[in-house]
Amino acid sequence: MSVEKGTLEIKNLSKSFIVDNNPLHILNNISIKFPAGAFISIIGGSGCGKTTLLRIMLGLDTDYEGEALMDGERIEGPGSNRGIVFQDHRLLPWLTVGENVAFGLDRLNRKAKKLIVDEHLKLVGLSGFESAYPSQLSGGMAQRVAIARALANKPEILLLDEPLGSLDALTRIHMQKELERLWLLEKITMVMVTHDVDEAIYLSDKVVIMSSRPGVIKKIIDVPSSRPRDRASSEFMQIKAEILKEFHLGTEYPFAYAI
Amino acid sequence: MKKKLITKQTKARLSSFIFPILLLLLWQFISSAGYASSAVVPSPHKVLKTFQILLTQQTFFRNITASLERVMIGFLIGSSTGFLFGLLMGLSRTAEKIFAPSFHTVRQVPMIGWIPLIVMWFGMTELPRILIISIAACYPITLNTFAGVRSVPREYLELASVYGFNQLKLIRRVILPAALPSIITGLTLSLGMSWAILMAAEIFIQTQYGIGTQIQMGRQGFNMPLVVTGILTVGLLGFVMTMMIEKVARIVDRGRAIGNET
Repeated sequence: MSVEKGTLEIKNLSKSFIVDNNPLHILNNISIKFPAGAFISIIGGSGCGKTTLLRIMLGLDTDYEGEALMDGERIEGPGSNRGIVFQDHRLLPWLTVGENVAFGLDRLNRKAKKLIVDEHLKLVGLSGFESAYPSQLSGGMAQRVAIARALANKPEILLLDEPLGSLDALTRIHMQKELERLWLLEKITMVMVTHDVDEAIYLSDKVVIMSSRPGVIKKIIDVPSSRPRDRASSEFMQIKAEILKEFHLGTEYPFAYAI
Repeated sequence: MKKKLITKQTKARLSSFIFPILLLLLWQFISSAGYASSAVVPSPHKVLKTFQILLTQQTFFRNITASLERVMIGFLIGSSTGFLFGLLMGLSRTAEKIFAPSFHTVRQVPMIGWIPLIVMWFGMTELPRILIISIAACYPITLNTFAGVRSVPREYLELASVYGFNQLKLIRRVILPAALPSIITGLTLSLGMSWAILMAAEIFIQTQYGIGTQIQMGRQGFNMPLVVTGILTVGLLGFVMTMMIEKVARIVDRGRAIGNET
């Protein structure tokens, strides 16, 4: 069976740590398919195993039950077909912006490297910054460089671990648009872990809701709206209410506070 | 905009001269007010005069080159050994378990304490002098390299594993650059130790040439200006060498140097 490149599938995956001789279940029987080219967000409270799930998808953690398949093959370790953007930009302070973007491109010669670096800095709107150092960039700019670094390896799937979590609200909204633009342009699969319900709805085809201890998938909500999405539309609000309900944050008694 | 006559930078540079000048004035005051005899506290003028005379003598330059050579060789041997040792213990917990307790025990022995032993082994030759300096230079760089390697942020290591770096590439591309500020601090401290112990090495293991020899000769001949010029020479040379290390460090580590300036 051939699978379209960029497909990541998790089948009946469980993971537990042993703490004081007792197994502590982190992930319990997770099954989820990330189809090629889709944008999928994972929302969940802290401790729901999102980070562990991402680590498994990256290939940093291979000790689990069940299956994690990339393009139909079992994930045995990290690979260049999977890229990651962390919450902290994680740029190396001793390298220039250009050198950071070229971090995973050692197999290429100088010229090819420069070409890819230029292309990707242009892609994230930072042409001309290649010789700047991370300490000279703002938070939003640094995160763009991190995205450029991840995309420079031409991954089939980009994993985003709360990529905009440390940015201020306005930069954040701007970067959400940027992420959407990059996703539409690159046509790759993107999986984003986030705490921000609006962000998830704005960007995703599907929103996966996880609950904690042990981490299970509670619900998967489709977001059928056309793009770009209007955060003030009634459809957007309805989906948001549906998601918040899962966290018991819905307005069950909408007038309770007015009394 | 009006161009400022004194920029912020020159101001900062000038301010570092204030304290030495005050010290110099205090020194001049003590010697000219007659609080101490000129044989014990020679006046700045007298010391300057001695410097002028020394600068015309070949012995003075031989003393300097002999001391510089000793420090450089000792420092290079000691700091490279220490660097490798610190790196090994930083990278491997097993190596740390094996070597660290012995290292910390040996480290407690004051440097002067080694001199009799080493002289008995190697005699009053150049080798024990350089060996003493090497041992002194070894400690700070070992400790700082070790600490630097251990404190590489876990996030950077994770990043390297995402890119599938092997051990060697991990060390070269991530661990060493991340530990560089610590390593440089270690180098600076090692150099300071080398200079400090140089005097002991030259005074206790007598030698024909060396700044320590000059100081020792000044003491024996009760020639205070000679002693003071020796001390000042060591201080100035050490200062220049430390500045050079810092300058090189700033060039090598531009990314973080820029971050610290702004």
